[in-house]
Amino acid sequence: MRARYVVSVALPCLLLAGRVLGASPPLPPEQLTIEKLPARSPHWVYVYDDAFDNEIDARVHLFDGDGYRRLGQIDAGFNPSVNISPDGSTTVVATTYFARGSRGARTDVVEFTDNTTLAVTREIVLPSKRIQTTPTPFNIAYSADGHFLFASYLTPAASFGILDPQHGTVLAEIDTAGCALVIPSGSYRVSSMCESGRLLTVTLDAQAHEVSRAMSEPFFDADKDPVFAQGIATEHGYAFLSFLGEVHEVDFSGAQPQFAPTWSLLSAAEKAQSWRPGAEQVGAIQRALHRLYVPMHRGGEGTHKDGGTEIWVFDLTSHRRLARWPVHSEGLTAVVAIQVSQDSAPIVFASTATAQLAVIDALTGRVRHIEKHLGQTPWQLLNP
Amino acid sequence: MRSLDQLFEHSTRALASRTSRRSLLGGLGRMLTGAALLPLLPVDRGSRARAEEVKMDPASPESCEYWKYCAIDGFLCSCCGGTATSCPPGTSSSPITWVGTCSNPNDARNYIVSYNDCCGKTSCGHCDCNRNEREKPMYRPSRNNDLNWCMANADANYHCTVSVIMGVAEK
Repeated sequence: MRARYVVSVALPCLLLAGRVLGASPPLPPEQLTIEKLPARSPHWVYVYDDAFDNEIDARVHLFDGDGYRRLGQIDAGFNPSVNISPDGSTTVVATTYFARGSRGARTDVVEFTDNTTLAVTREIVLPSKRIQTTPTPFNIAYSADGHFLFASYLTPAASFGILDPQHGTVLAEIDTAGCALVIPSGSYRVSSMCESGRLLTVTLDAQAHEVSRAMSEPFFDADKDPVFAQGIATEHGYAFLSFLGEVHEVDFSGAQPQFAPTWSLLSAAEKAQSWRPGAEQVGAIQRALHRLYVPMHRGGEGTHKDGGTEIWVFDLTSHRRLARWPVHSEGLTAVVAIQVSQDSAPIVFASTATAQLAVIDALTGRVRHIEKHLGQTPWQLLNP
Repeated sequence: MRSLDQLFEHSTRALASRTSRRSLLGGLGRMLTGAALLPLLPVDRGSRARAEEVKMDPASPESCEYWKYCAIDGFLCSCCGGTATSCPPGTSSSPITWVGTCSNPNDARNYIVSYNDCCGKTSCGHCDCNRNEREKPMYRPSRNNDLNWCMANADANYHCTVSVIMGVAEK
């Protein structure tokens, strides 16, 4: 009996001791660190999330289209406007804060984030008149040389502010006679979109003083077929899509904008089937490939913000459609924003009405990855 | 309906092209206060295509399909403690707005509808409704529902949107 007791107690102890003695060494103490971003990749995308359900808490998510992971976040306050500097080094956020969180005194401010650290490095307080609206590339935008930063104001009277990002100052305000948004070209020109379908172009001197202004001829009809305000960057300017699928390419490289002949995304049969572009961000252009990617849907009057059930791919030289990529069969909901990388192995990013972010081969349309729940309302995708 | 649209468009175009902020606000006020709506407000900004929208019952003010909401874009105040014509408790209505024209299927009349934002609290987050009949981009602000029409309020935060009949759109 005693021997059996010894065996029954001592044997497990010996076995346990053996396991302990024979095990690997204990884990070493760990060091708490701050993660550093790797070298910038052309396959990164900055995802604007308005956080519409709780709109004072917008943010920008930085997502890696190769590793399929979030790299970090830039906070963006209330109903912000976001852009990236021409050299890609800085993300600029124009936003509004209220003194007591959701209420209290309003402060409009532009915040500059270092894209190598995602730390805010500078801010410029604005007059309380910045435009508060859905994203376009023209809510806040740099001059081509990065010397000036232009901020759209709408109170609802329209004007814009000229900022000096290097010294952190507001230099001037320019009245735009009812025309809205800032489309910079060169170092000293800013164009604004007018409801008459014209562009107002203001030319500045190096001290941000207005030198001259000129109004273009109308290039669209806001009553019959307005263009989306979300222009798409081309090699020498921007392409503006109309609600009914006309493409207006505008060359901003000269002293005044030049308008190319328009062309249509749609055949007569497709128009009869009510196909049209629609989204929060309605197109992206791969400039080396001369390809245009557009979320398309079928719908009538008032559907211009409906997302795309397909992505259509066009050749900008021949104006031929190269492909139609249905998205529902890939597990995606309607596409509300689209972007494409500018490298030699390009990928298309598409965000959806249910906050999916798809990573798509820009040449074949193959969906490589779907990231779920990337924020709440991802209405704009940006890359340097 | 079309002539009414044009009336508003022409009025606002003329104002926008030649007026300062102060006079523009004054002009909008004169244009809208004839309906005896004190703080008129705006429409809201934009809830774009969203996954979860409201129930589809065209007879219910809590439905995105309700006839008066033909050009609304935002959270329905009727889901947020208010009604289709009243802001929720503790909010304020905005003094500027944009106006749409909607057809009432019950009497076959077209009505001028003011889409007023209710302001001063963070977004309600319920009953997001995004309809855009005759809505225009932000270079035509008077017809645009993407803008935060609480922009001129002391508390400029956006909470929800109501729709208030201003009158019949007589042809």
